[in-house]
Amino acid sequence: MLIAEDVVKSFAAKDQAAPVLRGVSLSVSPGEFVCIVGRSGSGKSTLLNILSSLLTPDAGSVRYKGRDLAAMGEGERNKLRATDFSMVFQMHHLLPYLTARENVLAPFLSGLRPVSAARRRQALACLDRVGLADKADRLPGALSGGERQRVAIARALVTEPGIVFADEPTGSLDGDTGGQIMDILSRLNADGLTVLMVTHEPAYAAMASRVIEIRDGRIAAAH
Amino acid sequence: MNILTIPLRNLRRKLLRTLLMIAVFSIGVASVTALLELSKAVGESLEEKLAAYGANILVTPRTETLSVSYGGMALGDVSVDIRSLTEDQTIAAINGIHHKDRLSAVAPKFALLTKVGETPVGVVGVDFDQEMRIKSYWHAQSGDLRLGEGEILAGSEAATRLGLSPGGQVVVEGKPFTVSGVLGPTGSGDDAMLFSDLHALQRAAGRENRVHFVEVAALCSGCPIEEITEQLAAALPGTDVKAMGQVVKSRMMTVEFVERLAVAVSGVILLTACVMIGLSVFSSVNERKNEIGLLRALGYSKASIFTLMSLEGVTLGLAAAVVGQAAGFAASSRLMALLDLGAAAPTFAPAQFAAVFAAVALLSVLASLPPALAAARIEPSQALVML
Ligand SMILES: Nc1ncnc2c1ncn2[C@@H]1O[C@H](COP(=O)(O)OP(=O)(O)OP(=O)(O)O)[C@@H](O)[C@H]1O
Ligand SMILES: [Mg+2]
Repeated sequence: MLIAEDVVKSFAAKDQAAPVLRGVSLSVSPGEFVCIVGRSGSGKSTLLNILSSLLTPDAGSVRYKGRDLAAMGEGERNKLRATDFSMVFQMHHLLPYLTARENVLAPFLSGLRPVSAARRRQALACLDRVGLADKADRLPGALSGGERQRVAIARALVTEPGIVFADEPTGSLDGDTGGQIMDILSRLNADGLTVLMVTHEPAYAAMASRVIEIRDGRIAAAH
Repeated sequence: MNILTIPLRNLRRKLLRTLLMIAVFSIGVASVTALLELSKAVGESLEEKLAAYGANILVTPRTETLSVSYGGMALGDVSVDIRSLTEDQTIAAINGIHHKDRLSAVAPKFALLTKVGETPVGVVGVDFDQEMRIKSYWHAQSGDLRLGEGEILAGSEAATRLGLSPGGQVVVEGKPFTVSGVLGPTGSGDDAMLFSDLHALQRAAGRENRVHFVEVAALCSGCPIEEITEQLAAALPGTDVKAMGQVVKSRMMTVEFVERLAVAVSGVILLTACVMIGLSVFSSVNERKNEIGLLRALGYSKASIFTLMSLEGVTLGLAAAVVGQAAGFAASSRLMALLDLGAAAPTFAPAQFAAVFAAVALLSVLASLPPALAAARIEPSQALVML
């Protein structure tokens, strides 16, 4: 479904001689739960962001369902992000002035046509899946860190994406709360959601169906 | 919930800033509205005053006059030669000037000193339709206010002196005329005169196609009287063209000056308001770069981001358009009362409201254009920058 071939990426920083990624190839199949691990600064986030279309590689290609991301037009890429790709960031990235439910609906607020009742119900259902149906009308400021991250996951689900990219979704949370998030993600994966996640925690990586380790800009091990 | 949700919520979150922006923009809109209302009212009241003055340009044949004075004492002017104008040429020339649309009346006169019985009296031949446009104060004291071919309208004083009443007969220059009506007192020279149809009087006097002077009325506020006078003088060589009603003219110039000043001031205020709206949206874009990046990562197109940010500015503008126009109306009615502009009151004209509304909307779109474009250029990867 998602195939990366020989991805190379370096940043134009002066103190940086070697590229961050030096030819990374991987593929993700539907229904997989893939974890990317590696020590800090190894290029995990960079790889994930290239795969999720937020960054462009210097060389190599990323293809989704056979289509090269680099060959896509602006509009096509927007549509891809709106429908097929979903992202969960380390920080929740919620809009502070929208309620939980409205934040979940945010992907649909780009047009003139009002959000349909069906979509509203769908948003509530997504919040229910992360166990937050009762706090749908709260602003992010009135939610705990873990709850905010769960809202962010609900937002990633609402578009019924083909794949969810998550960069250390538990990074800003304590152990217990992080565990909750992982439980939710693996449950969603069991329901058929494809997940590509970056993490530091070996315990969380163990919950994945496949683990990829990045070292020196290359894939060091996959198991 | 739609694309309006995000800008509106953001404006609500920054309520103080939002209200401040609306207040500033409203002041600009209010001053423009008040100015429009005031100049309308001032124009109307001036027009009334101008109409009361009657004709404001007088066309007479150029006479060679000699100022006679003796021992430092002015004895007055002696006309060496009283000439007349050719009616058809003169009227055609007047109606052919560039500003002919501004002329509301062209009233030629043929004047004659005659005797009715033994009493000397002045008779003036007039083009009745044209005359009525400048003599709006004429009314019939008895009989009818009309002037047919063989008829005479008598001034109130002349009627008393000559013993005339409607239906009576008068012989002027050997021709019989019927008195159609007696004018009410006007307090002007008209009271001592008899008026007859221009052409009938010319014929009676054997001087067809001759007129002694032409009164021209250019009755509109802000009329370029000077230009009209110049054009008339150029079209009518050998005549004197004099603008009357200097008072009105100088008042008009004052009004024009005040109008221009007000336009300039409200222009500056509006411009400042636009810049402030633009800056407000700019700062909104700057402090929300990550948010915009996030929306891009959620699949928002550049056009959506552009619209989103413009809507913030436009919302401010539209709110200001409503508040400002309401304030402008209130202010102008107060001012009109202060300036004693008679019964003038600001009139609510939906078309004007819509026009100002649209203009302000356009201004606010223009003001938020640069920041909205800057916002649209923000890349989705901006979402990755930590807050
Ligand atoms: N925008 C950037 N400009 C310059 N250098 C960058 C940029 N982003 C990342 N890097 C560099 O690229 C390398 C890899 O960064 P990346 O964020 O991918 O690491 P990571 O594996 O996610 O680390 P961590 O586990 O700490 O999040 C680092 O050395 C980092 O300094
Ligand atoms: Mg990282």
